[in-house]
Amino acid sequence: MKKLLRLLLVVVGLIVPLVAGPVFAETMYAKKDRVKVTEEKSPTSKAVGTLHLGDRVQVVKKLKRQYQVKLGNGKTGWVFKFKLTSKKPAGKSRGGSGLSGLAGKRVVMAKEARAGGSIRGLKETTEQYAQRKQISPADKQSVTKMEQLVVSDDELSRFQQEGGVGEYAGGGQ
Amino acid sequence: MKKIGVVLGATMLCGLVGSQGFAGFFDDLLSPQSQQKQSQQGQSQATQQEQPDLLEGLGGLLGVKKKNVDLLKKGIGVVQALQPIGEEEEIRLGEAVALEAFSRFGGEYQNESLTRYVNLVGKTVAEVSDRPNLNYHFAILNSREQNAFAAPGGYIFVTIGLLKTLKNEAELAGVLAHEVAHVTQKHMLETIRRGAILANVSDFTLSAMNKNPEMFSNVIDEITDKLFTKGLDKEKEFEADAVGVEYAYRAGYRPSGLRDYLKTLQSQEGYAQSRFFTTHPSTRVRIGKIETTLPEYQDGNAFPLLTQRFQQQIKRA
Repeated sequence: MKKLLRLLLVVVGLIVPLVAGPVFAETMYAKKDRVKVTEEKSPTSKAVGTLHLGDRVQVVKKLKRQYQVKLGNGKTGWVFKFKLTSKKPAGKSRGGSGLSGLAGKRVVMAKEARAGGSIRGLKETTEQYAQRKQISPADKQSVTKMEQLVVSDDELSRFQQEGGVGEYAGGGQ
Repeated sequence: MKKIGVVLGATMLCGLVGSQGFAGFFDDLLSPQSQQKQSQQGQSQATQQEQPDLLEGLGGLLGVKKKNVDLLKKGIGVVQALQPIGEEEEIRLGEAVALEAFSRFGGEYQNESLTRYVNLVGKTVAEVSDRPNLNYHFAILNSREQNAFAAPGGYIFVTIGLLKTLKNEAELAGVLAHEVAHVTQKHMLETIRRGAILANVSDFTLSAMNKNPEMFSNVIDEITDKLFTKGLDKEKEFEADAVGVEYAYRAGYRPSGLRDYLKTLQSQEGYAQSRFFTTHPSTRVRIGKIETTLPEYQDGNAFPLLTQRFQQQIKRA
């Protein structure tokens, strides 16, 4: 009986450390699409991966603005911590566009809604409202222009790097 | 005994309505919002329209007084109005409010370079916010008065009058972060929902908005009245200040930017043209509250103000 108990303790002693790592390491998720993971703390260093909305990572080390994380493929890298969240986001991306992982036909509806009026012009409700309130064509055009202004990831990243803001703030540490 | 009968009757009615009315309603909330959804909503609405008869008929059969049935019906409406307004509905409301913003504040300020710059600063803040996947739009209004506001769905406006009062990019980031915070905290949506409960409006679905332009128009009137004239609750403004400071810090800007602008505004009180004085709490109190949060962001004191970059942009305006 004692032998059996000892054996059990040895087995538990061997298994717990193996299981405890992944279980107790802090899990976080990508808050948005196209989150860059870099080899070094600096956001300009070589990329080791890209996270998409809802992708899960294990936090290895925490600095003020950067977290070292372990990816699903076992690679380790650094991420701007404000692009991660401890709460699993509702929509899980399958890669590419953040909208691609949303369920069913909602994808198309959400894409159109998020793109504002840029796909089909102003929405039906807005057109009706503009007519009812006699809003000028110029003001309608201004809303369309406002919705059609697109800033690419590269342009935003360059802007932030030049100003030392966003993930580049504090030397990207 | 009679009371027990009424309670039992009401309970049975709730069961029946729950299986038909609520099921359809919650399905609407959970299912993909698509054309299929619109057709489901149509069915759901038809079911809801059938409910009064069903309720009244069964209520009569079970001996429940009409007054109690009416109360129950009102309760169903209130429960439905308590449901959060969906993102697509929010964007529809925001787009219509955007029309009013251009219409009432001198139209669009025509300067593509400055508009792009404001968008770059705004998106830098928005991408570290708590709703980074919403597509935020930033525009400049051709008005000399100092004003900035956020419509639901991420439509954010700043006047050229306010832009010309700012000293640096960190102040601009602070102002925009305050507006982004109103969107992430869904302040306006919460206000609309409360108004809807009082007015017993229960349906904020896309199909309801399409089918009832008058209701939609009334909601937009309510939002614009709050945004442009009355202002939101003081507590919501204080919350937007605190959350905005946090977002500016996350975005890597000197977190004191909003406080610094408010100090300028305070120094101009009495002669500056700004609706902030009537639509927002006292500038002095806002500054005081922000200053209590700033010590939490000590390391942010090393973050840039970007005065030169801002001045280069604004001098072209």
